[in-house]
Amino acid sequence: MDVNWAQVLFNSAITGSLYLLGAVGLTLTYGLSSFPNFAHAEFITLGAFLGYTIGTQLGLGLPIALVVTFFTAGLVGLLCYRGIFQPLAKRGATIIHLMVASIALSFILRYSMGAIWSWKPYYFASSWAAFDVGPLRVTGLWLWLIAIAVGLAIVMHLGLVKTRMGKAIRATSSNPDLALASGININKVILITWFVGAGLAAVAGIFRGADTQIWPLTGWDIILPIFAVTILGGIGNFYGAIASAFIIGLAENFGVVGLMALGLSTSYRLGISFVILIITLIVKPQGLAMFFRRA
Amino acid sequence: MDLLLYGLDLLVFIGIFGILAISLNLEFGFSGLANFGKVAFFLIGAYTYALLSQIGLPFYLCLISGALVAAIFGLLISLPALRLRADYLAIVVLAFGEILRLIVKSEAWLAGGDWGLSVSPAISITGVSPRVDLLVNIALVFSCLLICFVVAQLLSNSPYGRVIRAIREDEVAAEALGKNRARYKVQIFMLGSAMAGVAGGLYAQYLQAIVPMLFLPIITFTIWIMVLVGGPANNWGVLVGAALVEVFERGANIAKDYIALPIDPSNLQYILFGVLILLVLFYRPQGLFKEIPIKTRALEAVRHAREQIKGEGG
Amino acid sequence: MPEEELLKIEELSKHFGGVYAVSGVSLDVRKGGIWGLVGPNGSGKSTLFNTILGLYRPDGGCIYFNGRKINNLSSHQIYGLGIVNSFQVPRLFFQMSVMDNMLVAARGHQGDGLFNSLFLRGGWQSQERELIDRALEFIELVELGKMVFALAGELSGGQRKLLELARGLMAKPRLLLLDEPAAGVNPVVGKKIFQKLQTLSKNGTTFFVVEHRLEILFNFASWVYVMDRGKMVTQGQPEKIVDDPAFYQAYLGAE
Repeated sequence: MDVNWAQVLFNSAITGSLYLLGAVGLTLTYGLSSFPNFAHAEFITLGAFLGYTIGTQLGLGLPIALVVTFFTAGLVGLLCYRGIFQPLAKRGATIIHLMVASIALSFILRYSMGAIWSWKPYYFASSWAAFDVGPLRVTGLWLWLIAIAVGLAIVMHLGLVKTRMGKAIRATSSNPDLALASGININKVILITWFVGAGLAAVAGIFRGADTQIWPLTGWDIILPIFAVTILGGIGNFYGAIASAFIIGLAENFGVVGLMALGLSTSYRLGISFVILIITLIVKPQGLAMFFRRA
Repeated sequence: MDLLLYGLDLLVFIGIFGILAISLNLEFGFSGLANFGKVAFFLIGAYTYALLSQIGLPFYLCLISGALVAAIFGLLISLPALRLRADYLAIVVLAFGEILRLIVKSEAWLAGGDWGLSVSPAISITGVSPRVDLLVNIALVFSCLLICFVVAQLLSNSPYGRVIRAIREDEVAAEALGKNRARYKVQIFMLGSAMAGVAGGLYAQYLQAIVPMLFLPIITFTIWIMVLVGGPANNWGVLVGAALVEVFERGANIAKDYIALPIDPSNLQYILFGVLILLVLFYRPQGLFKEIPIKTRALEAVRHAREQIKGEGG
Repeated sequence: MPEEELLKIEELSKHFGGVYAVSGVSLDVRKGGIWGLVGPNGSGKSTLFNTILGLYRPDGGCIYFNGRKINNLSSHQIYGLGIVNSFQVPRLFFQMSVMDNMLVAARGHQGDGLFNSLFLRGGWQSQERELIDRALEFIELVELGKMVFALAGELSGGQRKLLELARGLMAKPRLLLLDEPAAGVNPVVGKKIFQKLQTLSKNGTTFFVVEHRLEILFNFASWVYVMDRGKMVTQGQPEKIVDDPAFYQAYLGAE
């Protein structure tokens, strides 16, 4: 078997970038609100559909699609939190109740999107020019994706370290009581996190949709790697999420080469995330968080 | 369409989903375990049944094997997560269900891939009408349901049931009172998985064909609705829940043909399911029927004596 | 009369993220009587208790019970050896009745096992009957007789505290750790509780009590340990300790 290893490495960076965008909202809201939002997958799907409608159907192109999708999905995420999870938590819902509510929300969103856009898959019309850089085959779309992911990492890092709000987010996700005591507006922190997290998931959805297909399960199809990134990175830990997104990107892309060599179905690439998830829980349930202790 | 046949068919489904609801009730209602991958063990039971019946094992052995295999997987998959918080178990088991479906889809040599497996009926009497055939199925399904129900009732009304409820309420306190929570959780998870395995076997032999598409996560969610609507920690309640949800699904299916809606009814059905769950969580988290307190003979005797004293005194 | 050593702690330490909650604490509790542990808020008393119970793993030092090292046992095993506690903030099973809360704590109930609960139903019913009678005694003792079949969640704050205590007694402890049993209950009841503890301590149960109400505790305790900022600062008989400058330092020094 002839493998272009440089390409595999590059693809890992693409996958890692996608998973980072997709998972960052999940891990931060999970840390802040103390439950995993299974409907996070639907924010990804929503992004794919919005991106398709704005970018292809309305013909406004990728940059506008990215911006409008980010803000629209962000608003949806915010409303989901304000309308469902926050009032439920106030009524004393248990973590299991909140998880069930997120699954219920997931079904409402998924089948609403099915009703609006139908279950027939769509594909982005614009094809991206592919060009060769050395041994690599690259498309403009992938450069966009990697640029956004790297941009996100830098902006988030600066935001978390330099701004008051960023410090508040870090303080809150590691110790809500402490944040409360130090006079941080925890409610505002949580709202902003839900907004940004859903918006970024939607951006990931555009790229995932462009890579595969756009249908009501676009997000659910990658729920496993998204959760694996969250658990491996350590719940609520942004830097852990960066590391684990790229670890899982590498594992998947090299794993696929392995699967083909073994003559197994490449659809098992999802199984790689599952194995990583299980191993993390057995070996170190806190994930990589221990390497990224927040000051 | 033969209305009676339709009703009997509905009964079979209520029976099978009744078993699933009873099993989730043991896990979630009584023990506080968030099994978000119920469908995985349902699938294991169905495929085990199908594969073993193809090599000619009698139906009861197929059913029992399905239960055993499901229980073993329940043990293996829950071990890494049971010592952690409830959300870890939910994530792991949900992921496990997705992986299993992927496996039966991909391994055509074993599980028939997308085309699935055909299954011979458990008890086939040649030359009888479909009605008799259905009655035989109902008898089989409801016998299994009865066994599961009785086991669940006996367990929940015993000191064991008291311990698992205590673990649900506060596992740290229960552990400090000498209860090995990990052992109890594993036992309940295995038992619940075994019941789901039986339900899967019954499902496979009734449908006589199984495909991966039958085992989507929506099945898990449907069972959760049954338990939450009926009333967690109330075995009678979740049976009512199972019946209500099945009747609703059938009703929606029939209504589809007669009512013109601006929105595709199959989408609408799941949207309504989601809304229903949110309404239950907001306004009646205890479900239609409240938890029944533990009843043992000794407890009842004391309760009775005290009420009499109170009655005479007042 | 030679007093038998029950609980022995040597140089115990426990820290959270670099902050020492308990550091180098040593103490002995001998069989019988009421033993006190006092100190200002945040001095590490509850952390010490939770470490003894196996809820926290110690970072250093040793805990012995009846001469056996119990550092790395899980909390259900520690219960098995006879150490039981009652939490500072009651951790009851709120959706269960007062009686069921009591029965969970019972030691060696045959029906606690999966097999027995299903197949040997005759076997444990008579035992259950005896346990209920015993539970009723303790319930009456803490004056909850009218609430036997009420849900624990329906009790008032003070009643919860009392049920937490009764549940601990139900477990037939050899050593009962009590974290502020008189907090939140009225002073008369608080005093009554200690009188009852004193009676019970004559039947082989030893009590190790954290209590802020020193005026009650000092009337009943035979020995008092004083902690401050994670360290053991002094110890002695209550009548002597009130004259100890280290005791005043612990309570007033923070100001």
